[in-house]
Amino acid sequence: MSEQTETTSSTAAQRPEVNTESSGGQFEGKTVLESRDLDVYYGETQALQDVSLQIPEKQVTAMIGPSGCGKSTFLRCLNRMNDLVDTAHIEGDVFFNGKNIYADDVESVALRRRIGMVFQHPNPFPKTIYDNVAYGLRVQNNEVTDDIIEDSLRRAALWDEVKDQLDTSALDLSGGQQQRLCIARAIAVDPDVILMDEPASALDPIATSKIEDLIEELAEEYTVVIVTHNMQQAARISDKTAVFLTGGELVEFDDTNKIFENPENQRVEDYITGKFG
Amino acid sequence: MAAETDPTFDGGSELRRRKLLGQVFEGVLVASTLVGVLALVALFVLIGNDALGPAEADASWFLLYFVTLVAPTSVYTLLVRRDEVASSINGLSFATVFGSLIGSAVVYVVVDSVRPHDVAIYLVVGSLFPALVLAYNRITGGSHYTGPALPVSILFGLVSARILYPFIIPVISIVADWILFVVVVTGPVAAGLGLFVTSRWSRRYGAVTAVAVLGATLATAGVAITQGIDPALSVVLVSVVAGPVAVVSLDTFKRRETGRYGLLGPWLLIGGIVAGAWLERQLGIEGLETWLTPTLLLNSWSSFRPEQAGIYPQLVGSVLVVGTMAVLSFPVGVGAAIYLEEYAPSTGWRGRLATALDVNISNLAGVPSVVYGLLGLALFQNFFGVAPWLPRALGLKPSLVIAAAATLGLLILPIVIVSSQEALRSVPDELRQGSYGLGASRWQTIRNVVLPEAVPGILTGMILALGRAIGETAPLVIIGVATTTYSAPEGVFGSAAALPLQIFASAANSIPEYRTGVVAAASVILLATMLIMNSTAILIRNRYENN
Repeated sequence: MSEQTETTSSTAAQRPEVNTESSGGQFEGKTVLESRDLDVYYGETQALQDVSLQIPEKQVTAMIGPSGCGKSTFLRCLNRMNDLVDTAHIEGDVFFNGKNIYADDVESVALRRRIGMVFQHPNPFPKTIYDNVAYGLRVQNNEVTDDIIEDSLRRAALWDEVKDQLDTSALDLSGGQQQRLCIARAIAVDPDVILMDEPASALDPIATSKIEDLIEELAEEYTVVIVTHNMQQAARISDKTAVFLTGGELVEFDDTNKIFENPENQRVEDYITGKFG
Repeated sequence: MAAETDPTFDGGSELRRRKLLGQVFEGVLVASTLVGVLALVALFVLIGNDALGPAEADASWFLLYFVTLVAPTSVYTLLVRRDEVASSINGLSFATVFGSLIGSAVVYVVVDSVRPHDVAIYLVVGSLFPALVLAYNRITGGSHYTGPALPVSILFGLVSARILYPFIIPVISIVADWILFVVVVTGPVAAGLGLFVTSRWSRRYGAVTAVAVLGATLATAGVAITQGIDPALSVVLVSVVAGPVAVVSLDTFKRRETGRYGLLGPWLLIGGIVAGAWLERQLGIEGLETWLTPTLLLNSWSSFRPEQAGIYPQLVGSVLVVGTMAVLSFPVGVGAAIYLEEYAPSTGWRGRLATALDVNISNLAGVPSVVYGLLGLALFQNFFGVAPWLPRALGLKPSLVIAAAATLGLLILPIVIVSSQEALRSVPDELRQGSYGLGASRWQTIRNVVLPEAVPGILTGMILALGRAIGETAPLVIIGVATTTYSAPEGVFGSAAALPLQIFASAANSIPEYRTGVVAAASVILLATMLIMNSTAILIRNRYENN
């Protein structure tokens, strides 16, 4: 698998670097995803207000905030999953490696092949474990080899538990195993970014801690963006934290340590110390 | 205080009165539930009495069948119901035996009515190109172009079969019917069973199975020829019934440690009936005066001798019309459902259009069938009469079978669309999102994730629609299908016939035996057909819900 890792990093290095460290400038490293003045409306309701932020490469960026604050909406803008919602209307720009993904010549299907996603509820397909991991490769017309399947399952820390039952239905796995299978499925196609929408909220504490360990490992190779309503989780695993508050506003975005120890904004401090939310 | 006036908590007369009222209300509800069920029971008793004539039988006849049939099957049922493994094996065994019996009847009737020569040409020539595509795919180890290549090759094969048809038919006409049955029926069945055994046991056993099915079929055909029996029917019975039953029974027997006696179920039933019939003849017992005889199933129709009358032509006609209808109507219905559920937007003018279509399709399901008959008359009969050049330009002959199939197809279209929509809607949205999230296009998502999940529901709706269509009478009368037919239709361009039409015509026959006996027996067959279809639909749905 070291081969694949190399390919990823080398292709990433070859890409022209556009407007990294331009605005703000407080981050080291390359910016992979950047939103500028992003507004999202569902019908008449505004879900995101003027959100601008930069997501650094190969780090875990967490989005936290109370329910309905727009953090999931923001995540879904990053791989254009909101395109599937008829009523959604998006203004503003999102740049992925310098390319505006809302430009007319960008195909959302092609974009999602570079930006994978893991959902709140484990949603393996009602197929075998093997076919679940192979699904992304097949729909993208890539070759499926047993090595890629094994490697993906290994990196999702699931191989040892399922190696003897690859031909059984994925629905027979426990909830935590299913979620790790969904992560294996997402990394099998070797994307640049993995988006996670509250990946542990439907799991018990033991399964949650396994997923958290996994996310930290994944950040060595991938850029991970995670939405969570669990502030301790964000504090434990993320490098950067964005705090959204009611009304779809991005209130503060900084290093996780700074957000949790010394936030600039009073409302963020109130939220983090549990005064509301 | 309340406690002093009512220390026993019996609620007093006021509460008792309300309770009584509630009980009366419940009784009324039970009664209204029973009305429908009782009417159905009355229907079965009346028709069954006319068709089977149990009043004429001796008491000893009932005793005989109690001993050979009722007693053994009752004991067996009690045993099987206690054992979960045996009970599941019993279900499998029943499904295999009776499913393959029904399958063989349908295969024989269809191949016989469409002419085995035509089926052979289209099947053999038509499958050459798809076989090439599959072989290429196998050799290259999964080409990316199989998706579009397969349907195109099927189309290409059918077209070339149509072109080669006049050249092949003189050659193939010399070949006896039964050999063609071996080619079109035994060949695919033997290959299918071989593959099944290969997947479960080994490649060697698979090859042995395929050769054994082929050999047994040829041997039976040889015996049938020397005995002067029609070899075609025995070919179908051996390959479609004996082959699958033997394979499934052996497979279950070798695989299961316990509950193997569950395989006996269907044989106890069949054996009981056969033994009873044999003893009845040997002992000279006065049996049922039944109209439900092999003659009724296999003979041609007679309007003058009720005991000679058979509904074979009508059965073939019904199967042909309903089969053609399925081919014409199911793809359209499922396609419409996929568009409405998966593609149609919910906003904008296209969204409003889709909503309007959706509402109107549900309304169409309520349009009386007579009105559909008028529509079919105008569209498929008179249209071809007004513009006779149109079918000729397309190389089509006007056909009542196709007109009837198209009319019934329109009739069941709303049922198919609504049930398919229901099935598609029940696929969780999370699965679609998961697929999109992995970079699948909309079509890939529908084909790989949504449709496989929805297929059982779609199939259930299709089978229920078939059951509805096979009993329709009024639209067929209106478009001009003959109510009385004496010979089986020859293919889709032959004359049309349908079982309910013959029942309708015979109910007015001046000979009383027709009105009481034949009509009742034919109705039993029609009801049995629908019952089989509906229970298949229920079986599929239950399997689906269990998974």
